[in-house]
Amino acid sequence: MRDFAFLEPTSVDDACRMLATEGDEARLYAGGTALLLAMRQRLSIPSAVVYLGNVPGLDLIEFDETRGLRIGALARHADIAAHPAIRARYPFLAKMAEQVANPQIRNMGTLGGNLCYGDPSTDPPTCLLSLNATVTLRGPDGERVLKLEDFYVDYFVTALEQAEILIQVHVPPPAPDLVGAYIRFLKTPAEHRPLLGVGVTARYDQGFCRDVSIAIGASVRIPMRARTAEKFLEGNRVTAETLAECGAIAAAEINPLSDFAGSADYRQQIAQVIVRRAAARAFGIDMD
Amino acid sequence: MEKHSIDVIVNGDDYTLEVPARRLLADFLRDDLGLTGTKRGCETGICGACTVSVDGKAVKSCIMLAIQARDKQVLTIEGLSDRDGKLHPLQQSFIERGGLQCGFCTPGFIMTAYVFLAQVPSPREEDIRAALTGNLCRCTGYVGIVESILAAAEKMSGS
Repeated sequence: MRDFAFLEPTSVDDACRMLATEGDEARLYAGGTALLLAMRQRLSIPSAVVYLGNVPGLDLIEFDETRGLRIGALARHADIAAHPAIRARYPFLAKMAEQVANPQIRNMGTLGGNLCYGDPSTDPPTCLLSLNATVTLRGPDGERVLKLEDFYVDYFVTALEQAEILIQVHVPPPAPDLVGAYIRFLKTPAEHRPLLGVGVTARYDQGFCRDVSIAIGASVRIPMRARTAEKFLEGNRVTAETLAECGAIAAAEINPLSDFAGSADYRQQIAQVIVRRAAARAFGIDMD
Repeated sequence: MEKHSIDVIVNGDDYTLEVPARRLLADFLRDDLGLTGTKRGCETGICGACTVSVDGKAVKSCIMLAIQARDKQVLTIEGLSDRDGKLHPLQQSFIERGGLQCGFCTPGFIMTAYVFLAQVPSPREEDIRAALTGNLCRCTGYVGIVESILAAAEKMSGS
């Protein structure tokens, strides 16, 4: 690994200033589990690393029935998995966080770092997209709030400007009849990175789907909503047949990656099955 | 090369050292402190041979900078036995139950298990298997490892 300047801001504004001063070759460093790996492999050779570990208060997780869930950027995956309010009110989000990567990585890796890295082959972005999450970015000119959907631009590319920092993730308050599920598909149990991830949330209103949100990730360049499948389910009665058709519609909407981990055809077939299963799990329907 | 001063407690001992920013925690432990029980395996955050405890949490020291351990408490496999050399029940159990063959992954497994048992003193077998998903063994097939941890948990919570 090449040497680099190690900068230790003690506030977000300090960190923004350092990023602005250091320019394009500087990288923000949170837990380090992804960036350090890229640096060791010389995929990333930053001249300066701006370390957020000494910035207080960025790891807070707060829940309020009217305001919803706020997760600080430096909250670790293990903290999210263990948080009582998340486990109670967004159980599939806690379950997802409990499965990211592997246990030691979950103790180091942060949610903000995960989202900003832009690697498609991971779980949090897809699950949070299905929950209509937004992200708060702070830069030299103040704060802005983006829908997570608009935060992702392309493969490993986000909407973050050079000196901007993602400081918080916000999830809207859960509807009383909120249902949801997140399923990650691994080719073998020994793998830590999903081939495909699907998040489904909805309101389950006396047998009918309302406010359906279907997010697909890991097999596409950036996590995406399956809007046609969502429209198909909206207001529809939940049955094994409608969920199976929903899976087929969603799979047809994606333009999958094709690489050593799986061909586009393969990923599309898996998507059909996993969307169906995630929807079935969300609505409590017993089907394969 | 700019050096950074770090204070860190490793296995109960205070250290103050100057290290370059790029020094990995694994290299710091092995090369600077001579604690070679912590292994460098895959060096990509997968195999878990480099697992140590930092402030009571299991982490992989190959994808963590030494500077990130500043002002923290690090525990390595060398810190598990008594000062007079008496092995920790987990170590003893791995010997008695055949929880290892070549032994390279063993410090990582034992440190992961040590932190896990501190949180879950009486685990089910499936809990142990879930806790070990960040550690790879290429010799044993895991049965001996899981049995060793179960036996150690019984001994530790029973005595």
